[in-house]
Amino acid sequence: MEVSHSLKERTIAENSLVILLQGLRGRVTTVDLRDESTATGRVTNVDAFMNVRLSEVNFTDRQGTVSRLEELFVTGRNIRYVHIPDEVDIRATIEQQLQAIHRVRYFGGRDKGRREFPCTKHK
Amino acid sequence: MVEEGGGGGVGAMSFLKRFPPPAEGVRHQQPDTEAVLAGRTLGSGTLYIAESRLSWLENSGVGFSLDYPTISLHAVSRDLTAYPCEHLYVMVNAKFEEEETKEAPVAEGEEEEDSDDDAEPIAEFRFVPSDKSALEAMFSAMCECQALHPDPDDEDSDNDYEGDEYDVEAHELGQGDIPTFYTYEEGLSHLTAEGQATLERLEGMLAQSVSSQYNMAGVRTEDSIREYEDGMEVDIAPVVAGQFEDAEVDH
Repeated sequence: MEVSHSLKERTIAENSLVILLQGLRGRVTTVDLRDESTATGRVTNVDAFMNVRLSEVNFTDRQGTVSRLEELFVTGRNIRYVHIPDEVDIRATIEQQLQAIHRVRYFGGRDKGRREFPCTKHK
Repeated sequence: MVEEGGGGGVGAMSFLKRFPPPAEGVRHQQPDTEAVLAGRTLGSGTLYIAESRLSWLENSGVGFSLDYPTISLHAVSRDLTAYPCEHLYVMVNAKFEEEETKEAPVAEGEEEEDSDDDAEPIAEFRFVPSDKSALEAMFSAMCECQALHPDPDDEDSDNDYEGDEYDVEAHELGQGDIPTFYTYEEGLSHLTAEGQATLERLEGMLAQSVSSQYNMAGVRTEDSIREYEDGMEVDIAPVVAGQFEDAEVDH
C-alpha cells in the first residue's frame, strides 16, 4: 500500500505525514527513494524532517542489485514513497500520535499539583 | 590507470585538496579509515564526522569534504557478499571526478555506468574503518549531524517544531524536553495570530458549554479536549491551581 496520490489526502498528509511515519516505529516498511532504489527494513526512527532510520534493511539499488544493510539513514528529501504496511490503520495511527502529543502538551503538569480530573486510558 | 603521484595513488583524483582537519563540532573521529569512491580506493586516513560537514583526510594531508545536504543516505554495511569489508556507506547527490574504471566490487556483468546519470548525479563512498566495532558510532554520529541540516527547500509549512526532534516515546516516558511544557505566558507568546484567534474561539466555546458539562469554564476535561479538538496544536491557558478548590466537580 503506497501513500495516496489524491491531492486532498496528500494535503492532509503533508501536515501530519511525519506523525504517521513516527507511528510506524518498530514496523517493517519499504521506502522508495527518489533515485528509484528501495529499502525495506524496520523503522527505528523518523524525525520531524522525515529523515528515516531503518534497521536490518534489504536495499535494492537503482540497478536492481540487492544488498543487506544493518542500519540505514535516508534523508527526508530523498524519499519518494513510504509503503505503509497493510495491517496499519493509518487514521488510528495518526490519531494515536496526535493524542500522545496532546497528552503531553495539555497534561504537562499531571504530576504536579492537584489533579482536576481522572486520567483515563488515553492510549 | 592510476597515476602514482605524490599522493600515494590518489593524484588522479582532482577533487582532493589539502586542508586542516575540522576543529569544531566533531561528533566522531575515526582514524585508520580507508575511503573508497565508486570502488576505487583513495587511501587510508581519518574520517571526521563534524556538525558542519563530513571530512576525510588521507594520512598525507589531502582529502575531501562532503556537505550534509548533498548526502542522500548513509548506512552500515556488514554484508560481505555485497562488499568484502564492513563499512559505512554514503551516497552523495553530486559528481566527483574519478578515473574511468570498468571494474567495481559490486557490479556483476551489468552496465557499470548509470544510463540516467545526467538526471541525478550519484557518488558512492565507502568508509572502511580498521576498527569495525566503530561503525555504529560512526553511523549514529552521521545521523545526528544530518538532522542538523534540514532540507532548505522543504515547502512544508508546518515548521514550528522548534527545530528539535519530537520524540513522542521519550515524552511518554517522561523524558521529553521540558521546553515543550509551556507556562501560560510562554504558551501565549508562542501563538501566531491565527493561533490566538483559535484560542479565543475555543475558550469562548468552553465558556458557553459550562451548563452542559461537569467542568467549569476554563477547566479542561478529556471530553472537552476531544470535543473541541480540531487538530490545531494550540496551548490553551492552564487553570490556576486551586482556583476551583471549592467547586463541586463530579470525579
